[in-house]
Amino acid sequence: MTTAISTTSTGVHAGFLRSVERFPDRPALWVEGATLTYAELYDRAAAIAATLQRHDAQQAPLTAVFGYRSATAFAGVLGALLSGTGYVPLKRTFPAARNAQILGRSGARAVIVDEESLLQLDEVLAGAAGPVVVLAPDVDAAQLAGRWPGHVVLGREDVLGADALEPSAPSPDEVAYVLFTSGSTGTPKGVTVSHANAQAFVEAASERYGLTEHDRLSQMFDMTFDLSVFDMFVGWSAGASLHCAPPRALLKPDAYIREQELTVFFCVPSTGAIMRKLGLLKPGAFPDVRYTLFCGEPLPQQVATAFRAAFPNAILENVYGPTEVTVVCAAYRWDDERSPGECLHGVVPIGDFFGTTSGYLADDQLRPVAPGADGELLLAGPQVSLGYWRDPERTAPVFVVPPGESATHYRTGDLVRPGGPGEPMRFISRIDNQVKIQGNRVELGEIEEVLRRETGVDAVVVLGWPRTDSGFGGVEAFVGSESVDADAARAALAGQLPGYMVPRRIHRLASLPLNDNGKYDRRALRERLEAGL
Amino acid sequence: MSIVEETDVRGYLCGRFAEQLAALGIAPGEEPDDLDLIAEGVTDSFGLLELIGDLEARFGIELDFEDLDPEDLTRLGPFSRYVASRARG
Repeated sequence: MTTAISTTSTGVHAGFLRSVERFPDRPALWVEGATLTYAELYDRAAAIAATLQRHDAQQAPLTAVFGYRSATAFAGVLGALLSGTGYVPLKRTFPAARNAQILGRSGARAVIVDEESLLQLDEVLAGAAGPVVVLAPDVDAAQLAGRWPGHVVLGREDVLGADALEPSAPSPDEVAYVLFTSGSTGTPKGVTVSHANAQAFVEAASERYGLTEHDRLSQMFDMTFDLSVFDMFVGWSAGASLHCAPPRALLKPDAYIREQELTVFFCVPSTGAIMRKLGLLKPGAFPDVRYTLFCGEPLPQQVATAFRAAFPNAILENVYGPTEVTVVCAAYRWDDERSPGECLHGVVPIGDFFGTTSGYLADDQLRPVAPGADGELLLAGPQVSLGYWRDPERTAPVFVVPPGESATHYRTGDLVRPGGPGEPMRFISRIDNQVKIQGNRVELGEIEEVLRRETGVDAVVVLGWPRTDSGFGGVEAFVGSESVDADAARAALAGQLPGYMVPRRIHRLASLPLNDNGKYDRRALRERLEAGL
Repeated sequence: MSIVEETDVRGYLCGRFAEQLAALGIAPGEEPDDLDLIAEGVTDSFGLLELIGDLEARFGIELDFEDLDPEDLTRLGPFSRYVASRARG
């Protein structure tokens, strides 16, 4: 390795660059069946960055990375950052029109594209706001000749050497990444995270988990999902290696966990529930893993206890955080003795504030609720992101300075029960999952828990239905199993819950639909009800 | 609990996905043994989980996929043989 490394002490990638210096020959990334060392990954990224700089793509604040579980996707993220821009990920499993819309809204001047994603590029480039640099480092330039006139198209031979990179140190307030999340209506919202936000998160996570260069991390999350920021930047800061799950392993990760000798396994609870359904969580199955982490949706107690048995030597944590507050803002460490009693509605607590994040529980006027009362969780601190990309109208209602406060707080929309002395915070539901049924305030999560317990099925969603002027007339339930006896389940619920909380119908589906991030898609289920299904 | 043969599982799969298989130009009875249901776009990962749930309900069995290679989880022949072998216990 002769390339001089461009270091910076600022930026979400600063820790990666330190590891390139400390551990040049250690593995940084396993992807597509091959391993890249830190030096090799740096070289690829720096070469991409230098090429972007040569074409002045860094004059826009963002570079788009259009890749999926490929070396080019990871080198592209690092290359965008090294060139001096933030990154905005696209994903080829999204509809092309959505990628096109994100590309246009981002204002990116360059798209780094891996070989397989090229197939969708015609449609995606149609969304570009102006001419862009298309950099396809996996493909011969000759193969691209004549495509996309009006744009600058670069292939393998056009990529400069890593030593052509001009070092850049981002200022803390500059954008590190923008992730577009599905807005509840219309166009996606781009959560805009600065380098300072991301560094605050990486530092807090590094301190909490104490990962080292000997750790081997799972990489289950697509780059469009912010938990990938943990994998990449917390992992690489420690000098650990990242093991990008092949698409097949996302469905059935047991062999991947063993063969890659993972020490850290991080997934959404839905993946945990799938593993349980496939019969993969035998007691003692994965003795070598030292952390199992969950985030992204409520963690059912049943999944946590099955994981504790299958990963007997792993610390299990449920972490919580909206994308808007940079990945994680609360965490709960499972304890076999104490935790079963701390679960609420069969859901594992979210724990205590993480790192330098603080917050309080508020009423609908943003005033603190009375001690001990439930309220909406409001969050403040250095991880509170910059808001929604070029969208002040949608930023203002949720990034607020509450009365009597001076700092910007993010309104999570999550209803949380406070921890008493020595007790963790518990997630109850989305504020909008707390509904009025025939005038009674009902937490849908409570019904879901009883239904999970009675049916033994993890995949359960309850919705208010039908809509009335004051809320809902009743509730209906969906269970992800066709073998459940719906009548018996209704009868069992009727014995435990007031009549207005007993689902009028229990819809049995072989599995529940999931959204882009692998969470239960409540909106799709509501649409089924609206369609009379 | 009934005895489930490979041909039962395979027949069920081909019937369930008849439309998608026809769209790929595969005639009934000529499905290749190594047809990859996901790579060929016959179904997706969650469709596969739905399928597993339905197979369990239809054949009155409880499936455990621990011993199956992830590559084979999505291939018509290996999947059908595995389900049949598990059903026989």
